[in-house]
Amino acid sequence: MHVSMIELKAALRRCFEATGYYVGNYEDAANMILWLEKHGLKGLDELQRALPYIGDDSSKPLSTVIYEDSTSAIIDSNGRSALNCIAASVDLAHAKALENGIATVTVHNCHNRMFILKALTDCGRRGISVAAYWKNGNQTVTEHTAAIKAGERYPSYSEAITSLPANAEDKQTMTIVCSSRVDLTSSLQQSKGNRNARYISAEQIRLNKEHSVDFGIDIDETLWAEINRIGEGVLVENSERSRQGAGGR
Amino acid sequence: MTTSAAIQASLRGDNALPLRPVDQVMDLERLGAIHQSRLSFMRTLVRRIMRERWQIEPVRFELDPQGYGTVVYEITTPNKCYSFVLFSDYLSPDERNDRVIATKWDLTMALVDGQVDDIYLEKLRQNVPKQEAGRVNARVFVLSRANRSARNFDYVVDQLACGKQPDVAQIARVGYLYRTTAVYGSGKLGMADWEKVSSRHPDFNRPFAAEMFVCLMLRNFSLLQAEHIAQHRTPETYHPMLPEIKRFFGIGNSTGLGMAPYLINHPLLINQWVEMRELALARVRVLGNINKRITQQFPELLERCAIHTEQTVTEDAWQTANNLQVLKDLEAIRERTANGIGSWDTLLRWSEENCSLQGQEMLVSVMLELYPELVDELEDYHTVEEFLDLDPVMPLQQLKQVIEQRYQWALVMDFSADGAKDTFWYRSEEKMEPRLGDAREENGKEKQMALGVGYAVRKCYDQLCQYISEHPQHSTARFMVAQPKLRGIVRRIQSMNRCIYGDIQANLLDRDILPMHLLRAKLAFFGVGKFDPRSKLWVRNTMFQGAPLLEDIGHTFNDDWFMPLAPAQQGEL
Repeated sequence: MHVSMIELKAALRRCFEATGYYVGNYEDAANMILWLEKHGLKGLDELQRALPYIGDDSSKPLSTVIYEDSTSAIIDSNGRSALNCIAASVDLAHAKALENGIATVTVHNCHNRMFILKALTDCGRRGISVAAYWKNGNQTVTEHTAAIKAGERYPSYSEAITSLPANAEDKQTMTIVCSSRVDLTSSLQQSKGNRNARYISAEQIRLNKEHSVDFGIDIDETLWAEINRIGEGVLVENSERSRQGAGGR
Repeated sequence: MTTSAAIQASLRGDNALPLRPVDQVMDLERLGAIHQSRLSFMRTLVRRIMRERWQIEPVRFELDPQGYGTVVYEITTPNKCYSFVLFSDYLSPDERNDRVIATKWDLTMALVDGQVDDIYLEKLRQNVPKQEAGRVNARVFVLSRANRSARNFDYVVDQLACGKQPDVAQIARVGYLYRTTAVYGSGKLGMADWEKVSSRHPDFNRPFAAEMFVCLMLRNFSLLQAEHIAQHRTPETYHPMLPEIKRFFGIGNSTGLGMAPYLINHPLLINQWVEMRELALARVRVLGNINKRITQQFPELLERCAIHTEQTVTEDAWQTANNLQVLKDLEAIRERTANGIGSWDTLLRWSEENCSLQGQEMLVSVMLELYPELVDELEDYHTVEEFLDLDPVMPLQQLKQVIEQRYQWALVMDFSADGAKDTFWYRSEEKMEPRLGDAREENGKEKQMALGVGYAVRKCYDQLCQYISEHPQHSTARFMVAQPKLRGIVRRIQSMNRCIYGDIQANLLDRDILPMHLLRAKLAFFGVGKFDPRSKLWVRNTMFQGAPLLEDIGHTFNDDWFMPLAPAQQGEL
């Protein structure tokens, strides 16, 4: 079915609010998913995969900084979804880059890392260049990278299927490089084992956005219903007393 | 023509104009006291239509003698063509309900990109009358519905059918034939997102311009429909309405709580609107030359405001008292300036000592009205990119100082006091209608919307102070990793600190909060008049009263429909 971008965002906000995400975070989560979908990077497919687990994070510890110096940090996200923790990691890299020119933050134990693209884009818009790299997959390992130049509105994104062996640590790790001095770009090397490599330029991502602005978003009806069903958790039961609180006659 | 750079130079730095202070302007009660002005969105829309001479013609007019059927107008602007599609259906009196939860209306409408063919019209017919229960696509900018004013519609039709004109005194009491009960835009129900409207359609690229346009079209249709029915009822005696009486009809509007969360959830946008209004005032205060024209026009406008206020009918005791006080204030201003205005700065300062808030803000609107050359160009600066960005590098000591300086109003509130957190704002499962609850008597507080900005700032400040004592050298980014639950409020604090005016200063959780102030503030920016509160939670008002008619487009236009007055009836002077 067809929905507008704002409808999707509002429904996602309610969904994450009902799931227990806190103020500021449910907006981030909704914006991260919408950003991917709006820019043609299948945010709703990513959400579909994440949805069965989004309630689990409330029982997990918050992210912890396990190492830090002036130009780097290592963060353990304790198995959380990027939807509720990656923005803070990017912010830390951003702050260190502003102070020292360039910084690296490595995030461990983080799911759904594709959602970083919105946070990365926010940095670019605000004059900071960022690149991110991560691997994924149990049997078949895929690798991904995205980067944005300072002052730009759109990042580039690359992904490929590799012949690398699966490594439990790699699977939930992400490296973020951030700079206030150097414009970072990234693309996957044409290494021997890579298959189905895909590079999406910043220009293509911009064009994808233009299409969404013109026509809105298509979403699977079942997924739409599920997002809204979860979001009903923020609604308060109707009653005669409650109707008086609406102020009508 | 001004520029962004010129505006910034007037707002900030060594050469800034003397803006009114933040604590004064952002006080909720004052925001609830402001009136329509020449920067209001209805005024700016009408200026654009009249100056660009939009062509608006009915291309399909299929109304039966009772006024039911389908009408399509085509609107040709210098940029594009649009269609305004309207469905008029029978509604029994017992089904007529202005609440969000209603499911049937007298009229339903859509503003659509481009021309509408039969196939698309049918698609609209299947969905527009259903409103929230229907779906449309991104060709549609606005969906709306309206109900007849039971008091006025039949009366006006009867009068016209008999060859008489409506009694102006009656219109002064209820200045409309229809009331809109919702005007949806910005992507709701599958419509075009604001991002599309603002980037692809320069005709509607100002806030709420498309929504206001639909209300203007509804106003004009309501007059056309009344005349159509009257003419068919008794063609031999029917007489059309006089244009000056027509112009005195606006469109009614019922606004409820739904508008209140908008003001809190769009702080950067509201700040922008306030900045432009305050900049306009500062320009007049410093640059407004008091010449012969101004000396003559000022008392005339005061008189007009007084008569307009006298003609405002409300049963609400609070609003009645306010209106009476405004009349006293206007008289005091008139007396004070009888021998000369002196300077605007002095007069404004005097008003702050001697007039009510509504009286002071009426004076502000009058001052803006006098200087189109200083004010009107700011109408192009009412939009803003709404990014609430975190400043990750900000040292925590600085963040603490920002809170102490910009949110002093929140820090001085005692949130442990009786009633300080008794109100909660929530969405009902009934059509997600926004409602207010009393935490002492109702369940659901745990699902409240995050509108308690003051309280959130207080909690943030307390946790920040604790954190700083342990980690005095940390940055905001580091604080956010440790305290992610504060992310929303910290980035709001930092973002609003980059604005001149910032957040509305009020505790929305207080037992005694008056949502009316929030509604009124937004409606004044829209440009409505004749506020008639029906409770502390919803207000009736009138839009576009006094505005030009469609048939006035292309003729002389002096943009002078501020605080419109009842026209003199035949036989009157």
